[in-house]
Amino acid sequence: MHDRVEDTDETLLARVARGDRDAFARIFSAYAGKVKGYLLRLGAPAAAAEDLAQDAMVAIWRRAASFDATKAKASTWIFVIARNAWIDKLRREKTELAYRSIVIVTEESDDESPDDATMRGETEEQVSAAMSLLSEEQQQVVRLSFFEDRPHSEIAERLSLPLGTVKSRLRLALIKLRAHWEQYK
Amino acid sequence: MSPQHHPSDDVLTGYVAGALEPGFGLVAAAHIEVCAHCRARVGAFEAASGAALEALPQETISRDALSNVLARLDAPAQPINVDYRSFVERLPLKPKKWLAPGVWVAGVNTPHAPQNRVYLLSVAAGGLTARHEHSGAEFCTVLSGAYRDELGLFAAGDFAAAEGDLNHQPVVQGDEACVCLFATEGRLKPQGLLGRLAFAYADV
Repeated sequence: MHDRVEDTDETLLARVARGDRDAFARIFSAYAGKVKGYLLRLGAPAAAAEDLAQDAMVAIWRRAASFDATKAKASTWIFVIARNAWIDKLRREKTELAYRSIVIVTEESDDESPDDATMRGETEEQVSAAMSLLSEEQQQVVRLSFFEDRPHSEIAERLSLPLGTVKSRLRLALIKLRAHWEQYK
Repeated sequence: MSPQHHPSDDVLTGYVAGALEPGFGLVAAAHIEVCAHCRARVGAFEAASGAALEALPQETISRDALSNVLARLDAPAQPINVDYRSFVERLPLKPKKWLAPGVWVAGVNTPHAPQNRVYLLSVAAGGLTARHEHSGAEFCTVLSGAYRDELGLFAAGDFAAAEGDLNHQPVVQGDEACVCLFATEGRLKPQGLLGRLAFAYADV
């Protein structure tokens, strides 16, 4: 029989890993309220903190087999589970927001302008060779968009074009330029 | 060889707290995975966080929380698939695009981090990149090969963080292409028309 007096959180988790619900209930009563407090401190609203704390407790049950008392204390392992539950929630929210912004705000905000001037041999010839592939109209939107760094909506206004026309011109310009870039392969 | 350039403790504690922007967390993770020194520090910060968790007062939880949770334990657990591939192989990469002779870039899909630009950049041996300035924060972990700039030699596993005031000109060292994982913040200013077109084309 277990000597309950000597049970530590670590031995309790080992028992949880073997499917012991009594041990789980004791871990729950020791940590559920603390995990909720931690989530509240991270800025989770009360209802979300309650839900997430319950999710974290379920995760403790499911992942208990991966707990290794020689590598970490129980409190450390439970902290990592609670933190990951929080990160996952933020990620889910961000992913949803990202998709929402694509649907609603659409390409207004999709200015594709990453950075980094890691370009080697950026020469006048290369620029003009690339640009010469484009029609006058395409060059105009490309210059405004990528050189002057104007949002699509502003380009549309300046050129008195529908937004959709600006976007399709840019898209066609990029397709033409593809051939140019591919030659570097 | 173990990495020589490490993230600051601020970065590591942010990583442990889950407070780094996701794209930046990914670049930090690329370093931590290959750096025993930083793994030990992360372990120490996690242990400190665990102790802090243990010391927190118990928040009131709903009366039926335990029975709710117990009821969920019977649901069949989703199998946990452990992915044993290396960090780089697990990256959800967009197709590789060539920007110039010996230079390619591949964006990393991070739908959860729409404000971060995360990408792999490879520059062939002997390659010289344009001198450039940073207009925002940037994290970089070297995955293979090496480069040198004003701050020193950066080889596989090394981590570099740039703030807005860094102006540097990295030069690839050795016989091997230098492949780096970058995360950059928001919109940065490329050096010119060709740079913008190239990166728009590369969709990173």
